[in-house]
Order: sequence, then structure tokens, then C-alpha cells
Amino acid sequence: MATIPANEGFDAHHDAHDHDHDHKPGFFARWFMSTNHKDIGTLYLIFAIFAGIIGGAVSGIMRAELAEPGIQYLGWWTNFLGGNASDFNATLHMWNVLITAHGLIMVFFMVMPAIIGGFGNWFVPIMIGAPDMAFPRMNNVSFWLTFVGFCSLMLSAFVPGGTGVGAGTGWTVYAPLSTSGSVGPAVDFAIFSLHLSGAGSILGAINFITTIFNMRAPGMTLHKMPLFVWSVLVTAFLLLLALPVLAAAITMLLTDRNFGTTFFDPAGGGDPVLYQHLFWFFGHPEVYIMILPGFGIISQIISTFSKKPVFGYLGMAYAMVAIGVVGFIVWAHHMYTTGLDVNTKMYFTAATMVIAVPTGIKIFSWIATMWGGSIEFKSPMVWAIGFIFLFTVGGVTGVVLANGGVDDNLHDTYYVVAHFHYVLSLGAVTSLFAGFYYWFPKMSGRMHSEFLSHLQFWIFFVGVNLIFFPMHFLGVQGMPRRYPDYALAYSYWNKIASIGYVIMAVSIVIFFINILYAFLAGKKAEANYWGEGATTLEWTLSSPPPFHQFETLPVIDDAAHAH
Amino acid sequence: MVGTVAPDARRNRNVGLMAAGAALAMLGLGYASVPLYRLFCQVTGYGGTTQRATADKLAGVKVAGKMIRVRFDANTAPGLPWMFKPQQVTQDLRIGERKIATFEAKNLSGRPITGTAIFNVSPEQAGKYFNKIQCFCFTEQKLVPGQDVRMPVIYYVDPAILDDPGANNIEEITLSYTFNETPESAAQAHNSAGAKPLALLAEKPLDRAQVRR
Amino acid sequence: MSLADTARSMGKAFRTFGVAAALTFGTQAMAAAPAAPVAAEAAAPVAAAPAAAASDSAAPAVAAEAAPVDKGYYTPMKPTPGKGQPVDKGWTFQDQYSPIGEQGLWMHDVILMPIIVAISILVLVLLLVVMAKFNKRANPVASKTSHNTLIEVIWTLVPVLILVVIAVPSIRLLAHQYEPAPKGALTVKVTGYQWYWGYTYPDNGGFEVISNMLSEEDALKAGEPGHLAVDNRMVVPAGEPIRIQTIGSDVIHAFAVPSLWFKLDAVPGRINEKVLFIKEPGVYYGQCSELCGARHGYMPIAVEALPRDKFEAWVKTQPGGTVGAPAAAAPAAPAAPAA
Repeated sequence: MATIPANEGFDAHHDAHDHDHDHKPGFFARWFMSTNHKDIGTLYLIFAIFAGIIGGAVSGIMRAELAEPGIQYLGWWTNFLGGNASDFNATLHMWNVLITAHGLIMVFFMVMPAIIGGFGNWFVPIMIGAPDMAFPRMNNVSFWLTFVGFCSLMLSAFVPGGTGVGAGTGWTVYAPLSTSGSVGPAVDFAIFSLHLSGAGSILGAINFITTIFNMRAPGMTLHKMPLFVWSVLVTAFLLLLALPVLAAAITMLLTDRNFGTTFFDPAGGGDPVLYQHLFWFFGHPEVYIMILPGFGIISQIISTFSKKPVFGYLGMAYAMVAIGVVGFIVWAHHMYTTGLDVNTKMYFTAATMVIAVPTGIKIFSWIATMWGGSIEFKSPMVWAIGFIFLFTVGGVTGVVLANGGVDDNLHDTYYVVAHFHYVLSLGAVTSLFAGFYYWFPKMSGRMHSEFLSHLQFWIFFVGVNLIFFPMHFLGVQGMPRRYPDYALAYSYWNKIASIGYVIMAVSIVIFFINILYAFLAGKKAEANYWGEGATTLEWTLSSPPPFHQFETLPVIDDAAHAH
Repeated sequence: MVGTVAPDARRNRNVGLMAAGAALAMLGLGYASVPLYRLFCQVTGYGGTTQRATADKLAGVKVAGKMIRVRFDANTAPGLPWMFKPQQVTQDLRIGERKIATFEAKNLSGRPITGTAIFNVSPEQAGKYFNKIQCFCFTEQKLVPGQDVRMPVIYYVDPAILDDPGANNIEEITLSYTFNETPESAAQAHNSAGAKPLALLAEKPLDRAQVRR
Repeated sequence: MSLADTARSMGKAFRTFGVAAALTFGTQAMAAAPAAPVAAEAAAPVAAAPAAAASDSAAPAVAAEAAPVDKGYYTPMKPTPGKGQPVDKGWTFQDQYSPIGEQGLWMHDVILMPIIVAISILVLVLLLVVMAKFNKRANPVASKTSHNTLIEVIWTLVPVLILVVIAVPSIRLLAHQYEPAPKGALTVKVTGYQWYWGYTYPDNGGFEVISNMLSEEDALKAGEPGHLAVDNRMVVPAGEPIRIQTIGSDVIHAFAVPSLWFKLDAVPGRINEKVLFIKEPGVYYGQCSELCGARHGYMPIAVEALPRDKFEAWVKTQPGGTVGAPAAAAPAAPAAPAA
């Protein structure tokens, strides 16, 4: 098995540094020029929480606007961002700015930084027994690129973007709406922000790949790595291969916009559909980039609290590899209505459905891991079980959408919105919370409140289901996405979704109270506060771990985990 | 291994460089996709891309007995002040037979404008079999103010369409053109009139969209 | 001389004179056409020109002159509540009024829905069982099982079988959707503009119907659903295949009508085509389904299907609208030179 019994494997080599003997740099050097993977991980997490607050607030504005038919609040926001609300087009443009900002922030500046930059940086080196990442300086560059990218995106909201202020192209930035359709610097800023965060992610991917391949402790073979490390490895490859394609595509958008090229401009012989092919060649792996590390986190948690090794470890690892590989050959299922020919559509229908197989293996293996276990319902476990169910619901609607013939009705409706929020908002974000509660005491040295974590889970669970389940109904009834206003018939489910948002928001408040509680009144966390089920290397270190861990490399005992 | 273990910097650099190389290769592939996609469309007729007949290809074409109808469609990009229309809505012809269709274009503006036509056919699986021998879309067209021209396209439908189970049930093929002003021509207008090309694109026929609310 | 003859003899001429002749054809025509007075052209507002060009190109002048005396008749049909439009608190697909829609709905309701509900319930039940049977209290000592090849093979193969069960009707549905429209089917060219729709009828004289959204009040006054009603509908005959061609004028739009199971992007510079068959007369509403800028949410679609005779009567009310064989609608001779 991939897990390492703490007291068998390398007790002798246990890193016994006293905190006081850690040589930490001064505040500025530590947090602004950091080369320490744990500090950079912390920076990523704080940044992701901050971006998440903004992205979540944007969705709050959207749900408020959609609570009733008609336009209620957009004008105010238009004025707030320096637009002209008396121009109705500028007011409606604000809606497109909101949906664009929500999408880009949540994808590039919340989920990815938190799950890869945050948890990946924190725990990948520790779990493989490495003292740090392979390229600590580059790690720091990655973070600040992401940060500056975020600033560029924020800036874009205050400059002209065509019919109003801000970039209103959708996160997909389709040409020609993003080229000839959006005059003004806003879209340039948004594209530039994708360049920066993309460059940061590519550097991060190189770093993770090198770290995982080269810096594993003696005895930590690839097939003994914890599944979270496997998930980050697969994710890093997806980032490495997918993001450059996005970079190329959006660079061509920039030159189309500013330097008179016509890569995607029909006027010069370009094809806007090519942009969609390139975008989704990146975009589909991107959704796995967001969810695969979540899979890894859930595997660790399920195993820990069932007090059992993960069922079918190799199957689990290679299912992720399979998902990653197949993820590169299904992109055009996002483009079923652009005018694909019948053979292309049949191929992408079949290929897309194939993804259900490795995903099913994962779901069933998690359940099998619990089967026969001695489950403790600690907060991370509750979130993880919630994840399995919610992700299943999101997954099966994906099977519906995979059918090109059915997608002809559902494409670009709220059904799609419901689907990808079930796998991302209820999937990836739930796994983020699960991981947070799993590792927060390890990172901070303070225990959070189990009661508040459970309370947050239940309120969150009710809230997000209320938001997103009715969206299936809106979708099959034909309500298109990216609409600030709608026909009266859609008002009932929209109202319920908006109520769900308020409930979800309460759960987020509880989350922050919980963090506050931990820092103010939380118990000091021991090295292994989850007990016998927690067997990976991070549990052999103190909480929080020493500034420099594994100065003596741990040796992973072979006999301890025969398969 | 006892004591402080420094990461093996050389091995790290090698793996890191390999990974960076892979990323660069994908970046290159991203750019290469533009010509590759164009080539792919031209070869396979993907997206309804029509074929350009060569001399040897023409020699081998035999006229089949089956009739097919070709429809003609003409569009102008917003901001291009041209009138552009087909002079026939449809033509009936035998598969394999060569036919000429004409389009009319007129410059409605007060400045000379150079345009190029982009094109495709629908249903798109017909693209592979729709061959143009001569077409005004092969070259740029310059119209002086008020100039009115007729422009020919000579084409045939490849009899191979009859052997394609995915396309042999097609009874009508639509050949669609969209005229765009060339960037050079637009830039010239920009230089003489002091207006930006992008602003020109923004000159949309808004008068027809009654602004409500 | 018919157009076909003209074209044929011209084609012969080209073959005789060689390809070079064709190359110079455009130039010859230029020389032949009398130069239009530049001043008069310059007086025309440039902004209006594209609009004029768009409608001109589709409406041949000769056909307009030949319009029959019969002016036709048309009263907009009252929509039936719950038909071709969303219903209050609705949580299922809209009722379908096309064969593809019926097949698609069957695919979803009979094949997909039972399968996905069953899978979700299976996972939920398994989770509940696991939580009940294998919690710390019920099962204090965890087993160490981490492999069972048989069950791993089963949960790999069974999903594959399920997917095959889904794939077969799914592929069949796709094949049906791609059957091309037959010869002589009415063609409607749908053009997406920022932010309204244009419906051109090339077989009926080439007129273009410009369709803008009605305000909420006007829609209610007309007894139509708000946010979906338009001033000029796309009128088509019911009970026959229609060739829908979509193209974008400026950015990408998507022409979508949920109750007809129809959605097709309107991409600039590229015509897309799909067949639409509406089973019975009625008003069917849809909305633009590809983000196209500020008023993306304000360019609804209303399709009015009428019996053939009423459709033809409507055509005659349109400027230059003609009914008959498509070839007859085309100008028999090249249009007279302008100016």
C-alpha cells in the first residue's frame, strides 16, 4: 500500500527538530520572497480564500439579480465600476462582466491555487519525504505570477470593454466576440491575466513533476506514493500539456485584437471555430485539473477515517491516468452545436462516455474502501462522503450531456450550469473543504471545531443543492445560460436557487468563524490528531511541521506495505 | 543517506528542462494548429470547406446521371458597404457536370474598397465533393465607388459523393460566400478618413434593431 | 434564354477561351457597367449601407416587380399556453413538436433518465449501508482488505455495458438529426445580428424578416409570454421538412428552439444547415444560446408554423414575397446594371 505506518516505517529517522531551532527568515523575506513550500502553500491558500470571497460575492450579485425576473441591481454595479447605467446596453454588459469574472476567478484564482498551489505545495513534498520542492525559487515565481494575474483581471473590470466597462466575453473568451466584438482594453487585461496565471501554473507543473520524479525518499516508489501525490502528478501533466495550448490561443486573440492578424477572424480567412477547438483542447483537461487533486484528497480522507488502506490502489491511480489521457480527446463535446459533421459528433459522443468508466472505478473503490472499515465520522470524512454523492450526481448528468443528440437541446442551458457546478462547486469545492478540515490543524497547529465543521457541512449541503438542483429543471425547460433576465415561467426555480445561495453563504460564514475559533481558542494539534488511520508521512511530523522537514530523509520500509 | 541531503540539482534540472520542453512543444503545436487546421479542412472538407480542382483531377471526372441542386448564398461582413448577391437562387446540374454561376457585387460607398470572399458549403459533409475550377474568391476584388460587377464561379460536384454513405443522400448543396474588406483596404480608409478600422466594424446596422426598454 | 442555358453556353465559352478568360471576366464586367455617380453614393449614410446591402442581396429586384397582385393575408397566431414555451414551475422538457424532438425526448426519458437515477440511487444506498454497517460502533475493527480482482473487473465491465446500451440509441438519434433536407424543401436562412434575428426566404423572393424582441408590456398586451415574444416571427409551414441555414453577421449566435429540439450556432462567415420538421401549427419560442454581447438575453426567437396555404398567404404579405418553384423565383436574366 501507499501509506506508511508511522511507527513502523521510519521512526528511527523521525525529524525531531525543535521549532525553536528552525531558522526562519524575517517577515518580508519569509512571505514575499519565500522559497519554502509550506509558506508558499499557505500564501496560495490565503490568496485562494481571498479570491474565493470575491468570486463568491460576484455569484451573490448574480443570484440576487436572478431572484426575480427583470433587471434590479445591475445598474448599481455598472455605476459602481464607473460605467454608465443610463445606457441599457452598458448595464446588460455588466452581467457579462460578472459571469466572466465569476468563471475566471473560480477556475484560475480559487480552485486551482487552492487545490494545486495550496494543498499540492504543502503536502506533496511531505508525502513523498522530500525536504522541499525541486525548484523553490521558481515556486515563488509561480505564486506571484498568479497573484499579478489576478490583479490584471481585477483591473479589467474598471476599463472599457466594448459595450460597457469590463471584459464581458465569458470565461471561454470566444472569438469574434472577444476580438472585433469587444473594443477597449478590458479584454486585453483579462487575456493578459490568463497569460500570467497560466505561466505560473506551467512553472508549478514543471516543479511538481520534477519533485515527484526526483525527490521521493528512498523506498518511496511510484507505486507506493499516496494517491494525493498521484493525483497531483497527473494534474501537473495535464497542466503542462494543456495550458500552453490556451496560451497560444489567447496570444493569437491578443494579436488579432491589437496587431491586425486574422487567426480567428473570418475577414482574413481565419476561423472562429478553430479558437473553440483550441480553447476546449485546453478547457476539457482543465476541468480534470480542478477535480483530480480533489479525487486524491478524498482518497486520503476515506482511507484515514475508514482505518483501511485504499481499495484497489493501482486501479485508483491508473483510473486517474486514464481520465487524464482520455480528457485530451473529448474536447469537441463542448462544441456540439457549432456545426460539427455527424461522424465527428458520433466520435466525441462515444469518447466522452468512456470517461464514465474510470470515474465509476473511483466512486466504487471509495465505497469499497469504506466497506469493512471502522468509520469515524470526523469532519473531513463527512465532507468526503458528501463529495462522493454530489460528484456522482454531477457525473451522471455528464453522461446525459455526452450524447450529442441530447445536447442539441441542453447545450448552453442551465442544465449545463447545473452539471458543471455539481462536479466543480459541489465536487471540487467540497473536496477543498474536506481537505481543509483534514489538514488545517496540521498546517496551523490548532484544532478547528468539529461541531462547526459538521454544522457547516450540513448547511452547505442543503444550500448548494438548493442552488444547483433546480437548475436542472430550468435547463430542461430551456432557460439559456448567461442571461440576466428571463421569461416569467422560469422565476420559481430561480427564486429557490437564490434562496439556496443565502443558505450556502451562511455556511461560508460558519467556515470563517471556525477558522477564527481555531486560532483564538483551538486546542493545540498533536502530530497525528486523526489517529491510527492516518498513515502518510505528514502525520509523522509535528503540527505545524518544522520549517525545514526531512533534513534526514525518511526511509520507507518495504515490508510494512506489501500489497 | 545520513545528514543533510541536498536535492540532486543536475537531475532536477534535466527533468525540469524536459518538462519545459514538453510545454514549449505544446505551445508550438498551438500555433501550428492554425495552418494544420486549414490544411485539415482543405483535405477533408471539414466545416464545409470546398475543394479546388486541379488539372489532373478534372481529367478524371465523369458526369454521372444523377441530378443535384446547388443553392447560392451571399453575405457581406458588417461594415462593408457592398451590395452582394447571387444572380441565381439555385442551379440544377448533373453530378460531375461543370457549371457557372454568377454573383453581383456593387460598391455602395464613396471610396475604393478591396474585399475577399470566404466561403463554405452546407451540408458540411458535401465540402469534400464540391470543387471550384474558377472563383472570384481565389483573388481579391477591388471595386471603385459605385462600380458594379458580375463575378463567376465555375464548379462541379465530384461523382465520388455518390459512393459516400454519409453524403450520397444530399439533394441540395448550398454554396455560401461572405465578403470582407481586406485589412489593407480598411487601413487605407483609416489613413485617409482618420477613423480606426475597429470603429468601422462597430458601424453596425443598428437602425434595424429597435432599441427597447 | 433560360438561366441554365446562359450558364451552359458561358461555360462552353470559358472552356473554349481557356481559363484566362474567366480570370478577366470580372474586369470585363467592370468595364461594361456604367460608373455610378459617386456623389450620389457618397450621400448615402455609410452606417445604413450594410443593412441595405443585406436585404438587397436577398431580394432580387426582378422578383419584386413580378410580385403577384394577390397581397396575401396574415394575422399573428395566438400562442397556446404551455405549447412551445416554458411552463411555470416546469421541471421536465418542454413538449416536443418535431420527430427529432420526440426521439430525443424518448432518449432522455426512457434510456438516460432511468439509468442515471438508478446509478445515483445505487451510490446513495451503498453509502448509507456502509455508514450504517461499518461505522466505528458497529464495526470496531477494520478489515484490511484492499483487493478483490473479481469485483474490480465487474465494476469496470458493467459500466461499459451500460454505456453501450446508451450509445446505440444515441448514435441512431445523431444519424437522424443529420439526415439532409430533401430537394425542394423550403429554405430559411437565419442570420444572427447583434442583437436581433433576420430570417431570409431565398426560395420566396429573398425577402428578409427582421425580428426584434417585444417589450414586456407589448408582449403581455399581445397575449404573449414576456421576454420571448417578438415583433416579426419566423413563419414556416408545418408538416414538411424545412432547411434551416444559420450564419452570424458579427459574432457567434445560436438559433435554438427547445420545443423543437433544435439548436445550431450562427457563425460569421460560415453557413450551417440542419433540417427542421414541425409536426403541427403553433408558435414555438426560443432564445439565442451563444453569448453574443450585451443584449444576448434580449434576442428571442419565435417560430410560427402554419398550414401550407396560410404560410403562402403570409409570404405574399412580405415585400417581394413570391410562392412557387424556387427556380421561378430567381431572376431569369442577369439583373440590370445598377444606376
